[in-house]
Amino acid sequence: MARYIIRRLLVFIPMLFLLTLIIFSLAKAAPGDPLTGKQLDPTVSKEVYEIQREELGLNDPLPTQYWNWLSSFTSGDFGQSMYYNGRSVESLISSRLLNTVYLGILAYLITLAVSIPLGIYSARRPYSLLDNTATTFGFVGLAIPNFFFGLIGIYIFSIHLGWFPSQSTMSDPLLTGIPAFMDRLHHMILPAITLAMAGTATYMRYVRSEALDILGSEYIRMAKAKGMKERTVLYKHTLRNALIPIITLSGYEFGILLGGAVITEQVFNYSGLGMLFIESIVNRDYPVIMAINLLLGATILLGNLLSDILYSVADPRIRYD
Amino acid sequence: MTINKLPVICMKMNNMGGIQLNTVRKCKWLSLLVVTSLLILSACNTGKSELYEKTITGATDTAPGGLFNPIFYVDMYEETILELTHERLVKQNEKLEFEPNLAKSWTINEDHTAVTFELEEGVKWHDGEPFTADDVVFTYETMSDPDYVAAGGLRTLFVEPLLDYEEYNAGETTDFKGVVAEDDYTVTFHFNEPSITPLYMASVPIIPKHVFEEIPIKDMPGAPASQEAESIIGTGPFKFVHITDRERYIFLRHEDYWQGTPDIERINYRVVESSVMIGLIEKGEIDFVGRPSGIQAADYSTLEPNENLQMIEQLDFSYQVLGFKLNHRTDEDVKNSAIQPNNWVENKKLADPKVRQAITYALDREGMVNGLLYGKGDVINSPIAPQHWASSEERTNKYPFDPEKAKKLLDEAGFKDVDGDGFREDPEGEPWVLNMKYPAGNQLRERTAPLIKQQLEEVGVRINLKQPKEMSAFLIDMENDDKEDDTDLYLIGWGLETADPDPTELWSSRTPWNYSRWNNAKSDELIKQALTAPKALEQEYRAETYAEWQQLYSEDLPAVLLYIEPALWVYNKRIGGVHALPHTLFDDIHKWTVD
Repeated sequence: MARYIIRRLLVFIPMLFLLTLIIFSLAKAAPGDPLTGKQLDPTVSKEVYEIQREELGLNDPLPTQYWNWLSSFTSGDFGQSMYYNGRSVESLISSRLLNTVYLGILAYLITLAVSIPLGIYSARRPYSLLDNTATTFGFVGLAIPNFFFGLIGIYIFSIHLGWFPSQSTMSDPLLTGIPAFMDRLHHMILPAITLAMAGTATYMRYVRSEALDILGSEYIRMAKAKGMKERTVLYKHTLRNALIPIITLSGYEFGILLGGAVITEQVFNYSGLGMLFIESIVNRDYPVIMAINLLLGATILLGNLLSDILYSVADPRIRYD
Repeated sequence: MTINKLPVICMKMNNMGGIQLNTVRKCKWLSLLVVTSLLILSACNTGKSELYEKTITGATDTAPGGLFNPIFYVDMYEETILELTHERLVKQNEKLEFEPNLAKSWTINEDHTAVTFELEEGVKWHDGEPFTADDVVFTYETMSDPDYVAAGGLRTLFVEPLLDYEEYNAGETTDFKGVVAEDDYTVTFHFNEPSITPLYMASVPIIPKHVFEEIPIKDMPGAPASQEAESIIGTGPFKFVHITDRERYIFLRHEDYWQGTPDIERINYRVVESSVMIGLIEKGEIDFVGRPSGIQAADYSTLEPNENLQMIEQLDFSYQVLGFKLNHRTDEDVKNSAIQPNNWVENKKLADPKVRQAITYALDREGMVNGLLYGKGDVINSPIAPQHWASSEERTNKYPFDPEKAKKLLDEAGFKDVDGDGFREDPEGEPWVLNMKYPAGNQLRERTAPLIKQQLEEVGVRINLKQPKEMSAFLIDMENDDKEDDTDLYLIGWGLETADPDPTELWSSRTPWNYSRWNNAKSDELIKQALTAPKALEQEYRAETYAEWQQLYSEDLPAVLLYIEPALWVYNKRIGGVHALPHTLFDDIHKWTVD
């Protein structure tokens, strides 16, 4: 197992390298550079921007620019933002990364907490009232776009009922300790539920159909015939096997939760990585684009590795060596 | 940090989740716990803090970039925040004229090459140090330095006219002569030539010498003193105490403020999505919204009936134009980014002024203001903002919506429909199709574009409306206007300088932003005259020259001015003493009170 993991980790290096090359070429292929968008201020002369282009190295040949980025990156430096004067990429990312991670984890927990019990229950009593309700809910959850669900949530729970705040990550940064923690949690609830919607629906459908298959299989009938308790059959034999697709999905989910919260973050003005990502693309802020993509790429690769490892835990027949 | 711990515990649970029966139960139990605690949380609303009693909250819909240094900042959102923390020698009143601020008086010498300011005494920086003439000198010296632009500085406009700027900027001398401290509270600005706008040049917010003098200029934008709350030092009525990047900015009052301690203790400045902003204003969670974002025209009538709110309706300093591409540059000039009007190639499709006038008559601009801006904003015919003393709307041609007149003018110019397909051909009988381009990203503009196409096609002008491109790509198209470029019409919005009405940078033939490539010798001459001493030292002379120029503009029409956008601001009536000016809501904010 350890050898397998090391081998996989070593494969990541060329993959990530290739990723940076692709992203760099794509980012550079887009028209304009970090200074084009700023140039709408007629009180600033064009020469000023020319000097700054030279300073940022934007006039160098592309391979040189890539090499400069790569060499500073490998020495652990993400570089400076080219759009936001004087701001380091690290400071831009680090302030938001945690926000996004917290939100992602809460959303993931909600997804699991809702989808697994509902999926199992639906499989046990297919076409019952609850199953039908859950199925409908699942399709609606998939069909409603995130931003719309978010806005409805804000309208009902925030503006109308006043239960939850609708914007930003906290109400007062000057708070400390437990109240600060509770305050942040309070702010995460609506966006986390919104973010969890689509995932919950998908997971539930997977668990339901998988469990339905398993419940009809011979070994379950065998277990029941042996006189095993219903609960044991359900949780020990059915659930465990039904989790395989969930594990597969979860591997990708890491990346999705990190980068896919763009719209939710926008609606709730939740300052996270997603918002920064969009901004950096619009602003052609190459160093930020590169850093975020690399982060997402690495997370997805790690997520996949993790899910591969978890397969063998969930199903001992799967072995790696 | 409790907050870091919870996710870690959950992660552990997750990774094992579903493997063991008891873990599954635990996870469910945990989620139950989470749900219950959420319900409890929602019941006890921790929303408002009682940390400072006299707290008000403002909002903007777009986050500032995060560089809070008045000589290096980039966007208008940063600029607005800096109005709370930093001050200038002179500030503008409701007529946009300069009046004393950190400078209590000034004298301009006879030939207008120098202006001497007497500074207020007893002004203190947020860290308690006294403000002196040395700070003023330091600010301008930094902006004149060869490293300033390389470090990301943009505002060379303010230092270029200073005495011997070129020598100092080229590094030929280390003796800075542009701004000189006579004593601690007297400072003189020297100019190379008689200055028409000496007070404008002196209106850069001052930065503290004692904070920045040890920092190399190249490191200034990245320094904590430009980015981190407690380290940002100004003389303004409020000081930075906290930044949650792109989300929330917190200020406490400057107890030693030279015009008296402000009544408001704390200001929260939040970034709020515009679609939820209205709800938060109604709920009283947001107390004021001013420049630059304001509120949407569509939301104005929702808030207006609310008795707790005071609405402010003004014109903004930005307008949208439909530009005519009158000339194209040569391939050579585009390659060398040279602007040489003598080389330009005329765009035959729009060369006749009658055609441009016809197009203007064919557009229902009044209708656009009513339909798109809900009657806010205004139709203008002069490219100088109406707030300015130099604006002379009455001297311009008005071009009311008149399709019949448009048709008549087009007929006269020889553009007639000869093949009977409903669209006009050019005088040679060849097809006449105008390509129209516009940038994406501004909803208002995106809704304007198809309206223009529709209205022009009603008078028989065939429009080929191109897919909008995002702003960066659009600007590159506009700048690569060589022979291959097929642009005839373009949409763009211009934000105008609030300080001086000089139109050189937008409409003179040699400026790159003259995307129309309008080349009119008379116009260039007038613009220049209005800035040439000694005559231009009299504001009346400048006003008359600009009036003449505006008249010329409206006849020759390098662009149709579609509408000027509204500035719609609002504040909660629990705030007293608000004195809104055309360019800021924050004037005399130290006099604001709150119940």
